[in-house]
Amino acid sequence: MKLAKPRRSDGSLLSSLPWTLAALAFALLPHLRYLPFWIGASFLACAGWRMLIERRRMALPPTWLRATLALGGFLGVLGTYQMISGVGPGSALLAIMASLKLLETRQRRDQFVLLFIAIFLVMSALLREQYLWSLPYLVAALVLTMTAWLRMSGDPGESTRASFAIGTRLVAYAVPLAAVMWVFFPRISVPFWAVPIDTGSGTTGLSNHMSPGDISSLSQSGAVAFRVRFEDRVPAPRERYWRAMVLYNFDGRNWSGNEPLLSQARNLQIDVGGEPLRYEMILEPNRQHWVPALELVQGWELSNTVMGRTFELTRVYPIDQRISFTMTSYPTYRIEPELSMSVQGWYLRFPHEQNPQTSTLALAMFRQAGSPERYVDAVLSYFHEQDFYYSLQPPALGSNPVDRFLFDTRKGFCEHFASAFTLMMRAAGVPARVVLGYQGGEVNPLGGYMIVRQSDAHAWSEVWFQGRGWIRVDPTAAVAPERIELGYTDSLLDGAATAWGGGTPSEFLHRIRLSLDAMNARWNDWVLGYGPDRQTSVMEMLGMVNPGWRKMMLTLVTLVVTLTLIVSALLMWRYRPPRPDRARILYRRFTKRVGIEPALGETPRNYANRAQQVSALSATAIHATTDAYLAARYGGDAAAMLRLEKSLKTLR
Amino acid sequence: MSTEAVTQQATLDAAVQQLGNIVLGKQAQIELALACLLARGHLLIEDLPGLGKTILAQSLARVLDLSFSRIQFTSDLLPADIVGVSVFNKGSGEFEFQPGPVFAQLVLADEVNRATPKAQSALLEAMEEQQVSVDGKTRTLPEPFFVVATQNPADQIGTFPLPESQMDRFLMRLELGYPNAADEREIITGDDRRTMLTEMNAVTSPATLLELQRAARRVHMSDAIVDYIQALVRQTRESAEIEVGLSPRGAQALALAARALAFLRKHPGVFPDDVQAVFPPVAGHRLKPASAANRRKPNELCQHVLDSVAIP
Repeated sequence: MKLAKPRRSDGSLLSSLPWTLAALAFALLPHLRYLPFWIGASFLACAGWRMLIERRRMALPPTWLRATLALGGFLGVLGTYQMISGVGPGSALLAIMASLKLLETRQRRDQFVLLFIAIFLVMSALLREQYLWSLPYLVAALVLTMTAWLRMSGDPGESTRASFAIGTRLVAYAVPLAAVMWVFFPRISVPFWAVPIDTGSGTTGLSNHMSPGDISSLSQSGAVAFRVRFEDRVPAPRERYWRAMVLYNFDGRNWSGNEPLLSQARNLQIDVGGEPLRYEMILEPNRQHWVPALELVQGWELSNTVMGRTFELTRVYPIDQRISFTMTSYPTYRIEPELSMSVQGWYLRFPHEQNPQTSTLALAMFRQAGSPERYVDAVLSYFHEQDFYYSLQPPALGSNPVDRFLFDTRKGFCEHFASAFTLMMRAAGVPARVVLGYQGGEVNPLGGYMIVRQSDAHAWSEVWFQGRGWIRVDPTAAVAPERIELGYTDSLLDGAATAWGGGTPSEFLHRIRLSLDAMNARWNDWVLGYGPDRQTSVMEMLGMVNPGWRKMMLTLVTLVVTLTLIVSALLMWRYRPPRPDRARILYRRFTKRVGIEPALGETPRNYANRAQQVSALSATAIHATTDAYLAARYGGDAAAMLRLEKSLKTLR
Repeated sequence: MSTEAVTQQATLDAAVQQLGNIVLGKQAQIELALACLLARGHLLIEDLPGLGKTILAQSLARVLDLSFSRIQFTSDLLPADIVGVSVFNKGSGEFEFQPGPVFAQLVLADEVNRATPKAQSALLEAMEEQQVSVDGKTRTLPEPFFVVATQNPADQIGTFPLPESQMDRFLMRLELGYPNAADEREIITGDDRRTMLTEMNAVTSPATLLELQRAARRVHMSDAIVDYIQALVRQTRESAEIEVGLSPRGAQALALAARALAFLRKHPGVFPDDVQAVFPPVAGHRLKPASAANRRKPNELCQHVLDSVAIP
């Protein structure tokens, strides 16, 4: 009986393993941000362990241990994500697979599997995010993987530099194919297949409710919400109100709106005036239905998008990829000048048992003011004159949040002011509601467009007056006008400048950020924004009549086949076998005629001596032909070629 | 063929013939030794004593009309015994340089492996630089300058084998081997070789020899032969039986020697036969056999390489 002994590593992978590990680690890099910590740690541990095994010529871990680890990893992924499909759990499983496969990597074949996993990881990183750096990352990862591949399968004597050069060249060969695929692969307007995007990481941007009692993390995020390119004029900062959704239900703590209404509201009363603003909106994916628009939007070239009852735009499909489209807005407008009593009542509801002090104050102030218009001014000046502060770190508010805010803490950000203001309106019998959206936007001088970030998210109020309709009132402006005039970013910059005693470092960083964003915007515009519409126009530009997916597919296949043929032809030409010498062809004919094959390493002279023993041909003929061949092939003697041909003919 | 070339060839034929009269039955070695000198390379003859090493060297000097000196290497030989020494002259009151035996056109370094490495390296340096430095003064050696070194096989007692790096200084290493019965008979019954040596006539002058050397460098070498040399060199590097294969300098030496031999043989270009003929003497002492194949002689290794590379 043979005893199964654990096989020890023989150190033969020592030269290629570090490369494989590097390729894997690089492939894993963009996932690390999203994956639970223990996955990265276990990859590092397995990689270190495997290197140690190879260095010290130790044995690989036994099967039972590997099986246990595999089961543990699987259960860990299941426990973290509660499922095993989707980008998150998928890449987590891939990472676990790669880590554990390392522990049973004995030979090249196993390293192949590892490198395939590396390529899969690189591809799945693109499902997560596609930024400007995705392309260089992709190329670098592929080159690294190819180099690792060559380190593993190539000539062991090949230098690292040579492997790298060949790997780079292989990737370069693929570039034209990739470019053709990218241009011609038909883009489809609805998602081709639903990639389950990480739901665990949550939606970014606004949510359709607001509870000012809880601290918002939203306003801290510098992520881009959307970019806007205005056609001729850029609206003044105080006009930059981007309406996203309207909240009208108040339960004493929370404001909420309806779930998005996916049908076009009928008979909307809109009068617009003034100079229209036309602009291109480039919206980052927010995985929600609402579409922000400058107040008040009247035209939008985005399909499946409707305006709801409260003048907000919603799209039937959630926005899960970057889209760009043009819009037209009118800064001067009048909406719903007439409302029925029942609808007015709808905008007056609030739980009367809560926030009693607010109600009392509201009624008293209304009585003093006399008219709704003057009451609005009175409340705004109340905010302005009393010691209210704008703060991003307000204290928690408890069960009567508005009372506590108005009479006690007096610190808050837009949501607190909008909430308190709207409640005060309703308590005094003035119909009002909260509007959520973005306020501000920063013009990037480098790209000629405006960036609106998640930190520009804002809440304000709308108050309804008979005959004038809904009027925007921003109570935050009464407290912190600079927040409105300068926008969030600049007001924060001011704070930083005073705190640091000088504006240079953060200003410099800000400039870098702006130029990076300009590059990113261009990348989004030209590369990621290459959607169905742009593809169609490019196809038309290339001379395709009525571009459709069939024609594109046909062109794609034709081009891919042609390119492959061209590249193969070039490679075959480059690595063609040396053209057989004419003298050599003749000499081969001669050896066939003689009847015996020259031995390996046998010189023509030695062959001739051997041939004259066995062949029926005359010794003189054999030697004459051999001499002619030697002179023709090695003597550089052109006349000898004729002699060779002649003596071959006489042999016949 | 130009008249000049014709006379050159006639000179060489005469040289080969004269040498063949003295060193009997060693046609191939004579040819290779001449080719070595034509390629401006130094020669190492390795064999047991009494096989005609010294005779071959002396007759080469004779027939090519070169000034000859002989250094018998012994274990107490000093570098100064080779390159010379400055001696104080009482009459003039100055130091005078007494040139050593190395100041000759053909230097026979007999039993070079009997001397200490220090003495060996004095000679090897002179071979490499074609000049010697004594008392801080550089003195040029005569032109042409050949060293024919003889050596007993390294497994004999009391020898200092030349290190591999210094073996590289010799273009060729030849083995003479025993003569066959008929030739040995003639050696026994015939005239004394040393007497015959004195009766030999020079067939050429040092100036002609330099011309011959220049002509040998111009022999046509086709791409096919360059490919062949490269394939051979690659094979020495890849063969499992060889630990260290030929260096690029070794490949260059191979090409030079093949050209010289082709010139000697009056070939219109370098033939595969020329390459094959010079391959064992050029490559043999530059290869380091793998330990497993230690018992295999260098010449056998070389033959093995030749038998496993196709001729393009």
